Amino acid sequence: MRRRGFLGLAAALPLAGCGYRSVDAVYSQPAGAVPAQYARRVRVVFWSSYGGVNGKAVDGLVAKFNESQDDVYVEVQFQGSYDDVAQKVAAALIAKQAPDLAVLSDVTWERFFLNEALEPLNGYLADPAVYQPKLFGEYVVKGQSWCVPFARSTPILYYNRDAFAAAGLPDRAPRTWSELQSWGPSLAKVQSGGRALRTLAFAKVDGDWQFQGNVWQFGGSYSRGLDVTIAEAGAVAAGEWQRSMVHSLKLAYMASSPSTDFANGLVATIQESTGGLKSMTSKAKFRVGAGFVPGEVASGIATGGGGIGMLRNISAERKQAAAAFLTFLARPENAAWWTIQTGYLPVVEAAREVPELKKLIAEQPNYGVAIAQLANARQQDAIRLYGRNANVAIYTGLQQIYADNAAPSKVFATVARRLDAIGAEVRRLYEEKVL
Amino acid sequence: MKVRALQYVVLVGVAAVFVGPLYWLVSTAFKQPAEIYQWPPSWWPDHLTWENFALAWKAAPFDRFFVNSTVITVAGTALKVTNAVLTAYAFAYLRFPGKKVLFFLVLGAMMVPGHVTLLPNYLTVATLGWINTYAGLIIPGIGSAFATFLMRQHFLTLPSEVTDAAAVDGAGHLRTLWRVVLPMSRPMLVTVVVITAVEEWNNFVWPLIVTNTASMRTLPVGLLILKDEEGLANWGTIMAGTLLVLAPMLVIFLIAQRYIVGGITQGALKG
Amino acid sequence: MQENPVGLRSRRRREYWLFAALVAPNLLVIAVFAYWPIVYNAFLSLTDWNMIAARPAFVGLANYGRTLTDPAFHRTLWVTVVFTGLIVAGSLVIGLALAFLFNLPLKGRGAVRTIAFAPHVLSGAAVATIWLFIFDPGYGLLRGPDWMNNSDWALPGLVIVYLWKNAGFAALIYLAGLQGLPKELDEAAVMDGASTWRRFHAIKLPLLAPITFFLLITTVIGTFQAFDVIAVMTGGGPGDATTTLSWAIYNEGFQAFNAGRAATLSIIMFVILLVVTTVQARVLERRVHYR
Repeated sequence: MRRRGFLGLAAALPLAGCGYRSVDAVYSQPAGAVPAQYARRVRVVFWSSYGGVNGKAVDGLVAKFNESQDDVYVEVQFQGSYDDVAQKVAAALIAKQAPDLAVLSDVTWERFFLNEALEPLNGYLADPAVYQPKLFGEYVVKGQSWCVPFARSTPILYYNRDAFAAAGLPDRAPRTWSELQSWGPSLAKVQSGGRALRTLAFAKVDGDWQFQGNVWQFGGSYSRGLDVTIAEAGAVAAGEWQRSMVHSLKLAYMASSPSTDFANGLVATIQESTGGLKSMTSKAKFRVGAGFVPGEVASGIATGGGGIGMLRNISAERKQAAAAFLTFLARPENAAWWTIQTGYLPVVEAAREVPELKKLIAEQPNYGVAIAQLANARQQDAIRLYGRNANVAIYTGLQQIYADNAAPSKVFATVARRLDAIGAEVRRLYEEKVL
Repeated sequence: MKVRALQYVVLVGVAAVFVGPLYWLVSTAFKQPAEIYQWPPSWWPDHLTWENFALAWKAAPFDRFFVNSTVITVAGTALKVTNAVLTAYAFAYLRFPGKKVLFFLVLGAMMVPGHVTLLPNYLTVATLGWINTYAGLIIPGIGSAFATFLMRQHFLTLPSEVTDAAAVDGAGHLRTLWRVVLPMSRPMLVTVVVITAVEEWNNFVWPLIVTNTASMRTLPVGLLILKDEEGLANWGTIMAGTLLVLAPMLVIFLIAQRYIVGGITQGALKG
Repeated sequence: MQENPVGLRSRRRREYWLFAALVAPNLLVIAVFAYWPIVYNAFLSLTDWNMIAARPAFVGLANYGRTLTDPAFHRTLWVTVVFTGLIVAGSLVIGLALAFLFNLPLKGRGAVRTIAFAPHVLSGAAVATIWLFIFDPGYGLLRGPDWMNNSDWALPGLVIVYLWKNAGFAALIYLAGLQGLPKELDEAAVMDGASTWRRFHAIKLPLLAPITFFLLITTVIGTFQAFDVIAVMTGGGPGDATTTLSWAIYNEGFQAFNAGRAATLSIIMFVILLVVTTVQARVLERRVHYR
């Protein structure tokens, strides 16, 4: 009896709470440390995914907010990458805990939205019109806002100005991929680390974000709605161009970390988030140039980066307090400061008129590239946004092209089959909640 | 004679294959970048430098990783071995209805591959609120089946007069265990401790899953993060970090190699 | 001497209590973290759950149907089989050869034996990082193929690392077996004029069969769950070239949030290894019986 008793208890223990969440229950806050002078305020826990230079900028904003008023204390807790934050929020919800605010990426917020883990924001935003409409609109579904834009970005083309000069090339980003290709042989004459400088590096992991834009530039798409189109001509052409750059011309290669290789001078150009601009500028020992990502038959660039979502399973008081912080972030001077510290896009229209940012752009035009490029930018195709693990399916396919010289038409036919299955999983919820 | 010479050549070749990568690790960790990247390779650092270690230390909190690894190894090993000893003693010397079935249940745990339990255990640990805590890192691993088995087999080989005498003397069971049985089981205890400690120290996938801040990471997981953050260009820094991860185990191995080699092979052969 | 029944009963009760107290912590942990996961996996494998939805959705056997018919899963199984097969075969052959070497009367063999064993106790993540450098296409000692970025070379590269790490262990186990062989048998064979090869093939190898069998089983079980070296060196790539069952479980569960799919793969791995260990138990039983 006793024995059966404790075995039964052991079995019931996890079963009792195994992830069954009541959508409107109020969950406790993750633990932390509140300095004595803020002890009487409403505490807001904010899970962030920015470390290094960008993390310091988040800390700066939060400190300024805490200084600026007497009612709310925001505690920022760094949780790792975008995926880490998503995984950790999911784990917290299983443990019946919830942070109040969390940074959610371009491909993670949808999961939380579809599964009723996010608080709708319409009632909380002081003035939705202040936001940059394109970036704000990406989080609006059927008239309701689910996140606010924060660290939003597009890829830009980083280039090594010193290497370009050594190769006798103009001091600008190429206008088309064909132009970059034609520059490759000159760049290869430049020596770097005892080897010929490579023209372009493709990311081994997560390169499907940049490739989204590349597919558009070659006239294709990942999907229309959830109907997968990656096996069609445009995407195949983009894949084929990259394949030939790697295998036929030997000008490009697959890198574990393109930005590290670029900062170390191993490769002349990369497509990377504008949010890495400040960090890249400080790491590289050469002059860093930046320009629009090249077009080909079309232009077009994918937005990305993080927004901030408010969790649903928190108390009304915490929701109001969290909203106060979101309102603070939407002030032009704060949005501009964030851009200056990181390189991310200004998410508030009026931020562009803030003198410090204008001055910075005048002195360092790199900071203006993504802003100017925003006109060409758009939200990614639905399959990558809503399909669970669609991004992995795509970048796994890209690896086969980069690593094995596999024919893009064949690779993408296989990827398309996987994406079809992924789309089928989410289609019902998508049609119910998004369309 | 010729055969013998050939045998020595092979022996030296084998030694080179196993030492080579470790030597390459150590020498790279002390080289300056230019020397790391030169070809043909430089076998001996021209100018010994500690700079790589400073950079690795700056890039990731190795002191923190070291503390975490140590806490987890020491606490995990202590708890697991205690579990093994107590369970083995109970099964060897105490009566209990349905004891056989229970022992079968303990041994059956060996049939459950650890990798299969990852997801459910992650969810259980999340439910308990133990994600990113020492409890979450340690507790799921302290159940002992194999070590219990080894200890019990060993206890059963002890002459029964010993324990009988202790019981007649009126010594309580715990005292018998502590005063009589354990001192007679030292080699087996060493075996079990060594196997457990090596496993705990090197454990990778569970700490990877269950921790999510640098302050809770262990050395092996911290190394993966360092590698990802440094990219694959700063090999000096990465090799220095790798050496920091390996050095404690290497040193312990060189000092106690007799016990470690003996413990692990004996444990395997008895199992 | 007659003990009074009340005293006997209370003593026995005390013994039961002590037993329960000594065994309970271990059994509790085993129940929660070894047995419960099997039940939990079985349950989750019948659901679709992304770990965020309020509750898992019951989907019956759909996960199994989809997994078993998925070409990607077939490929994963194939990679797992090749990977395991190469490592098992390599460990046994190299281990046996090294054991014979270490059994020769050579000076310094003890030191080499220890050196060959050392990688076995080192962190797989750290060992993998060293080899990543050795395999680096630009700066590695074994530069040549772009090992980890090429589908044809990535798997052999991983196999080399695992063999380097584990051959010394197999060697020492074999060596213990060799040294346990009855000397008279070999001496008699020498007297009969049996060739070295014949003595190896007809006498030693069969006598070592139990050890070979033990190493075979433990290496299969270990290799099926190999994770750290794959995580550090390839992340299952390039493409799916090194996606083994263990990597697939991690990917589905902790990167894709597919609890149902990860649980399904876990159950499949459990069943495969259960078959392996059952075969082992049967064979051991038979050997004991016929001895």
